Amino acid sequence: MDEAILKAENVCYTYEGESSPALKGLSLTIRRGKRIACMGSNGSGKSTFFLCCNGILRPDCGTIYYNGIPLNYSKKGLLSLRSKVGIVFQDPDNQLFSASVAQEISFGPLNLGFSEAETRKKVQDIMDRLLITPFAHKPVHALSGGQKKLTAIADILVMEPELIIFDEPASALDPLHTDLVHDIIGKVTEQGITVLMATHDVNYAYEWADEILIFHEGRLLKGGSPDEIFSDDGLLRTASLKPPLILSILRNPDILNKKGKRCCPISSQ
Amino acid sequence: MIIIDRLCYTSGLRYVNAMEKFVFSMLTLLLCVSSRSVTAAVLVLFVTGILTVGKGGIPLSRYIRLMSIPLVFLFLSTAAVLVNISRTPLDAFAIPFGSFYLTGSVKGILRGAQLILTALASVSCLYFLSLSTPLTDILGVLKKLHVPGLIIELMLLIYRYIFITLHTASAILTSQKSRLGNKNLRTARKAFAAMAGSLFILSVRRSCALYDAMEARCYNGRIQVLKEERPARYSEIFCIAGFEVFLFALIVVLKCKNSI
Repeated sequence: MDEAILKAENVCYTYEGESSPALKGLSLTIRRGKRIACMGSNGSGKSTFFLCCNGILRPDCGTIYYNGIPLNYSKKGLLSLRSKVGIVFQDPDNQLFSASVAQEISFGPLNLGFSEAETRKKVQDIMDRLLITPFAHKPVHALSGGQKKLTAIADILVMEPELIIFDEPASALDPLHTDLVHDIIGKVTEQGITVLMATHDVNYAYEWADEILIFHEGRLLKGGSPDEIFSDDGLLRTASLKPPLILSILRNPDILNKKGKRCCPISSQ
Repeated sequence: MIIIDRLCYTSGLRYVNAMEKFVFSMLTLLLCVSSRSVTAAVLVLFVTGILTVGKGGIPLSRYIRLMSIPLVFLFLSTAAVLVNISRTPLDAFAIPFGSFYLTGSVKGILRGAQLILTALASVSCLYFLSLSTPLTDILGVLKKLHVPGLIIELMLLIYRYIFITLHTASAILTSQKSRLGNKNLRTARKAFAAMAGSLFILSVRRSCALYDAMEARCYNGRIQVLKEERPARYSEIFCIAGFEVFLFALIVVLKCKNSI
C-alpha cells in the first residue's frame, strides 16, 4: 500500500492580482490509504494546494500527478479527477448552495451520472450513516454550524471518492460535533479512503495521522511521522507549532505540578 | 420574509403535494382577480384564511399581521379612486375647497372597497402558498411546468443567498454596534456605508468560493438535484376541483344577474 496516489512536483501558484506567490515550488507525495495531516500557519499554502489537487486551480509551473499520471485539464479529465478527489471546504456556507439538505447531497451523485433511484438510495444511506436524517427536512439556512458541517461532509462522502481533503474540518465546532466529525473521518480511513486534512489541532494530528506534512511559506518544510515531526523543536518553532500536550507532559512532568500557576504547556526548550 | 420562511416549514400543509397547493392558489387568484366580485373576494378570503390558519396551524395573530402589511399600500392606492376634485359635489361626501370640492361618489366608494377586498383576497392566495410550501417545493412545481432551468437555478441560488447575505449583514452590524458604530447620526451613516460596501465585496468573494465548491463536485453548468415529491391525494384534488368549479359558477351567476 505504499504507492503514491498524489504527487506534487515543484508546484507554484500565484493568485491573480497578488504580488507574492501562494505556492513556491511545493513538492510532496501522498501515499494511498494513509491518514495525512497538513499543518502550518495561516497563509502557508495548504488551502491553495488543496484547490490544485482537485483541478480548481491550475499551477503556474510544476506538475501534479494523480495515480502517476499528470493532471489532465480538459473538461473530461477534470470531471474524472473530481469524481476521485473530493474537498470538504472549511466554511460550509460556501459549499452548501441548496435550500434542502437532501437536494444538496444529491447534487454530486447526479453530476456523476447516477440515476435518480440510485442517487436517492445513496443520499438516504449517507444521511443515515452521518446521523443527518433527523434534520434532513430542515432548510439549510436553519441548520446549526455542526449540522451544516455534517451536511458538507455528506456532500462529498456520497460521491465515494478515493481521496478526501478536509480543510480544517473541526474549525468553529463545539466539542460534541468535533468528536462526531473526527469519528466520521476515522471511519472513512478504515474504508481505505486516503484522507488529507488541514488542521491546527496538534493533539488530534499526533493521535490520528500516519504522516504529518508541515507547510511553510508555500513550500513543504518537512514531512514525516508524528513522532519525527514533533521531536524536531527547530521545525516546530519555524512553523509556529507547539508540541502535543501529551508529549510536553512526558518530557516535562513538572508542568502538571505547576498547575494553578501555569496550566498551559509551554513548548519545551 | 424570514418569518414566512420559518412558518412555512412548520405548516400542517407542508407535506401536501406541492402541485395541488400551487394549482389551488393560482387558479383561485386568477378567478378572484378576473371576477372583480365582492362576494367571490370574501369567499376566497374566508377559505384561504381557514386553510392557512385552521389547517396550516399558522397563529391567527401572525396571519392578521401579515395580511395588514399590504393593507397600507392598498389604502394609499385606492385613495385615488375614492377622492375626486370637482366643481360639482358628488353624492357620498363633499368638502368645499375654494371653488372646488374634494368629493366622492357612493359608486366610487363601493368600487374602492371592492378593489381592496379583491386585492386582499389575491394576497391571501399567495400567502396560502408561501405559508404552506417551502421554496424548494415551489421550484419543483415550476420545473414540472417547464419553466426554463436557468430561471429555476437562479431562484434557488438567490433564495439561498438572501439568507447568507442577511446573516453577514447582521454580523457586521453587531460588530459595529459593539464598537459604538451608531452613536449618533453621523457615525451611523458612515457605518452603514461601510457595511454596504463590505457586504458587496463579501458577496462577490462568497460567490467565487461557492463556484469553486460546486466545480469541485463536478458541476457542469446544470444544477441537478433530486426532486422531493409528496403523492397527490384524490380526495384533495377532488376538493380543490370542487371549490374552483363552485367559485367559477358563483362568479358566472353573479355576472349574469348583474347584466340583467
